[in-house]
Amino acid sequence: MKPFTLIRPSTLTAARDRVGGAPDKRVLRAGGIDLIDLLKEGIAGPDELVDLKAIKGADAEAMRALAAEGGGWSIGALVTLAQIAESGLGDAHAVLREAAGSAATPGIRAAATIGGNLLQRPRCWYFRHQGLVCLKKGGDACLADGGENRSHAILGGGPCFIVHPSTLAVALVALAAELEIVGDAGTRTSPIDKLFALPRVSPMSEHTLAAGEVIRRIRLPAGAAGQRSVYEVAKARQSFDWPLAEVAASVVLEGGTIKSARIGLGHVAPVPWRAVQLEEALAGQTPSAELFARVAPLATAGARALGQNAYKIPLTQGLVRSALHRACGIAVPD
Amino acid sequence: MPETTTYTLRLGLEGELHDVKVEVPKGEPKPWDGAVKLKIVGRATPRIDGPRKVNGEATFTHDVRLPDMLHAAILRSPHPAATIEHIDVTPALKRPGVKAAIALAKVGGRVRFAGADVAAVAASTRAEARDALAAIEVRYKVEPFVVDLHEAMQPGAPQVHEGEVKERRTEGDEPSEGGDARRQGNVRMNPSLSKGNTGKGLRMAKVTHEATYATQVHTHSALETHSVVIRWDGPKSMTAWCSTQGIFSVRDELANIFDLKPADVRVICEHMGGGFGAKFGASAPGSRMGWAAGELARQTKRPVSLLLDRHEEHVCTGNRPSSSQRVTLGADASGKLTAIHVVAHGSAGVATGAGVGNNAFGIYTRCPHIKVESHDVFTNAGPGTAFRAPGHPQGAFALELALDELAAKVGVDPLALRLDHVEHPIRRRQLEIGRDRFRWAERRREADARRARGARVLHGVGVASSIWGDYGRKGAAVVTVSVDRAGAIEVRNGVQDIGGGITTVLGMVVAEVLGRPLAEVRVLVGESTLGASVGSGGSQTTSSVAPAARNAAEAVKGQLAELAARLLDRKSAGEITWGEDGSARAGSKSLSFAELCKKIDGEAIVATATRPETYSSYPMRHPGGPFYQIAGVQFAAVTVDTWTGVVKVPEIVAVHECGRVHNPLTTRSQINGGIMLGVGYALMEERILDRGSGRMLNPNLESYKIAGARDLPAVDIILTEVHTGANSTGAIGIGEPATIPTAAAIACAIHHAIKRPIRTLPITPDAVLAALQGGA
Repeated sequence: MKPFTLIRPSTLTAARDRVGGAPDKRVLRAGGIDLIDLLKEGIAGPDELVDLKAIKGADAEAMRALAAEGGGWSIGALVTLAQIAESGLGDAHAVLREAAGSAATPGIRAAATIGGNLLQRPRCWYFRHQGLVCLKKGGDACLADGGENRSHAILGGGPCFIVHPSTLAVALVALAAELEIVGDAGTRTSPIDKLFALPRVSPMSEHTLAAGEVIRRIRLPAGAAGQRSVYEVAKARQSFDWPLAEVAASVVLEGGTIKSARIGLGHVAPVPWRAVQLEEALAGQTPSAELFARVAPLATAGARALGQNAYKIPLTQGLVRSALHRACGIAVPD
Repeated sequence: MPETTTYTLRLGLEGELHDVKVEVPKGEPKPWDGAVKLKIVGRATPRIDGPRKVNGEATFTHDVRLPDMLHAAILRSPHPAATIEHIDVTPALKRPGVKAAIALAKVGGRVRFAGADVAAVAASTRAEARDALAAIEVRYKVEPFVVDLHEAMQPGAPQVHEGEVKERRTEGDEPSEGGDARRQGNVRMNPSLSKGNTGKGLRMAKVTHEATYATQVHTHSALETHSVVIRWDGPKSMTAWCSTQGIFSVRDELANIFDLKPADVRVICEHMGGGFGAKFGASAPGSRMGWAAGELARQTKRPVSLLLDRHEEHVCTGNRPSSSQRVTLGADASGKLTAIHVVAHGSAGVATGAGVGNNAFGIYTRCPHIKVESHDVFTNAGPGTAFRAPGHPQGAFALELALDELAAKVGVDPLALRLDHVEHPIRRRQLEIGRDRFRWAERRREADARRARGARVLHGVGVASSIWGDYGRKGAAVVTVSVDRAGAIEVRNGVQDIGGGITTVLGMVVAEVLGRPLAEVRVLVGESTLGASVGSGGSQTTSSVAPAARNAAEAVKGQLAELAARLLDRKSAGEITWGEDGSARAGSKSLSFAELCKKIDGEAIVATATRPETYSSYPMRHPGGPFYQIAGVQFAAVTVDTWTGVVKVPEIVAVHECGRVHNPLTTRSQINGGIMLGVGYALMEERILDRGSGRMLNPNLESYKIAGARDLPAVDIILTEVHTGANSTGAIGIGEPATIPTAAAIACAIHHAIKRPIRTLPITPDAVLAALQGGA
């Protein structure tokens, strides 16, 4: 691991200024979970870590707060996964609480922040291998395409086939969250979907933040009456594992019918994936086990399997069915 | 004068004992049998070294810090096959903190797997040593390679080896395996096990089943990685600290490498963080660590610590080889087996040892015609080595799942089919005990009903057996027991405690013989100067060491009896009886243990003893020799989520035996560990090698998945205690039997749940979904 200097600026502006000019040499540190992995694996080698946890003042307060706000919620970028998992998010926003409680381990959740979770790098084993140079590390080909790709993308892939690692992002997509981003030009607001970029747009980076931009807060819009949201995941190992696939579903029920639904899929695409066709097919329908079974295949419309990941198609559909059952209050069949 | 004494012992399953005459070498105490009543041995006893481990006082090799100690690191080949054209370590010497650098590979030499040794450096800190590796100049001529078992068997595949391949065997290998073999291309045929004529058996069959079963490469993943610290104490002597399963194997390797007398190599392994067959010798199976650390220490005249990281641990320290087993079974219309034929190919990478154990040959022996053929297939991958019951979990998986498939074809209950073919009386009783405890028939019916109504989550049950031998060794462990004038009791032996709990058992045996509390016995282990001992492989530690300890303690007690006879005015020691508190009695007179010890001539009574060859194998011999065959069975319950393919194992009933259970607490702990390992092997552990680069893609504990707390079943252990009369305490092994049947039983249960066999391990959700879809 390359030695680095830890810088502890006292304001967000100072932190941003510090990294702004040289984003490869100076990187922001929040929980430091993924960053330490990247340093140890030799994938990142910055000279300086600029510690966001050191900042003080109004920005720091905003970035650490988890509070109800106008029927919705404001979640600072430095709020930990453990805080979210233990928070009072209600039925409408429960998907985020469930997702946060499912990720990683208790130890990691106690330190990992939601901001860091959204911006962590992919877990692709070619990308993470110190001895291999893939497309994402400046090589000329995706090594998973034609290689060992059981955990790779079935949707939105190419030329790189990573899956986005953030579980919380999938939940935020289902909740139509907005980000408050601070940059040189001031503060801007962005829908969560716009934070992420497909590899065909940006093979080297998974997000669209400009140099020096920092996520300050995440806002969850107020839940509609009759809104319920749930998270479903399948893992090969039940203790500390990354998802094989995951589904975040937010459904608004009105008078016995589904008024609207937002469905996010995780670990199936290089970005948190919205299952738009499925959402459209659900709108206006009366929820039932038969409906869920019939429309679940729409979740993976357009999926293209590589050699070893075709299982993600039925798996995702199965998770969608479970999620819809729970979100609509219809018991999952035993 | 007769060389042996004949005793009539009470032997067999506890509660079902028989009188059996056993000839015992003269001088041995009467063996502890089913009739003897013991106070300490057999009682659940917490590890006496437990508090030190829990509070952090225990020193592992990773913790050793010596004055002036340097840290070493090894440069490893990134290429799976290459010839070294040039190597220059001198640039590393200019890097900060570096004190020495050596080449481990030669110019003109070949590297045969990614991760092979190339060079090593020693520096003031571990970080400096690792950083300096980048400065070493190496030019490789990269060559074609093959990492896939089936590709390696094709004509024209890149040749992994040029000349003859010597088999590397350690104390971790099962003693009955091995022999001469010939190599053709990358394929090396091993000696086969055979009885009858399988061709004839298959011709007689009314029902046959033939399928191929495959298992993955499984890495040992011990918590403490391979580690060695070497300090030269003089020009011809050294001390080595090593995380090892075999202190004396470390001594012998270092003595051999550096041309020292074994007695001048002192080896210390006070505590160690796990060993499953890969930690014999000072080096790892795929890395000459012992030589590297010793040579760097010699050149620098400073102690050198060499600790592998997790990546290295996965790629070059051994693994359980893969297998691809063609199994052919024949049966008559009622399900009586007429033939079992297994043709196995497996890859131990660049090494040998991809056999499939005794399961197919030695368990269902009422089948008249059995043949097991096995082949090593060389690939450009890190070497396989012994791994907890070498060959057996893979052999059990293929055979047991094939039996279940055959049972389904014939229409018989798979447990009934097994009971029909098992000859070992203990294994038969274990199957019956497990059947009742597990509620086999009831659970099968419930699972069938659930499947019939189209449930989302299916249930299944499976059963599988283990076979192992009582490999306790004569003369290997030499144990010393002493009692001094202050009454202090000490037991010494150079055995390592790899977690099985031998430290505590040593104390218990001596306390039992001398009639004193365990707390009064000081146990010294973990160092070669404490007396010769056995390596912890083959499940032979307790059965080699505990009888030796009893024999030494009995010799001390004999001398105490002579002393007591003198003090109590008796003619012979035979007139002395012993109280429960260790007091000596004769008629109305008695001496407390403390009073007796005060009268010891000189400082102490000291006796050293070992154990002889096994003297009984009651009630069932192992097919590999004149020793006892250890039986065990496990029943597994699974749930299969048909929407996600996720398998869970809510319960395992494990029915095992290990002769006389010396310490039920640590015995159960070993069985728990064996089952944890088996669950991981069944459902998730798998080394992934990239076919494009030959590199391991999951050399960590994140994507190389070992079972965690939430993956573990409720484990219900039933110990069927057996008195075999094999040695003076009745100890036989448990470490390996405990992991053999787990994955097989789980695979059988999944087959029962979904009515389709999944013939490849690990059984991950993708495989389950593919199997479910395959039949849709």
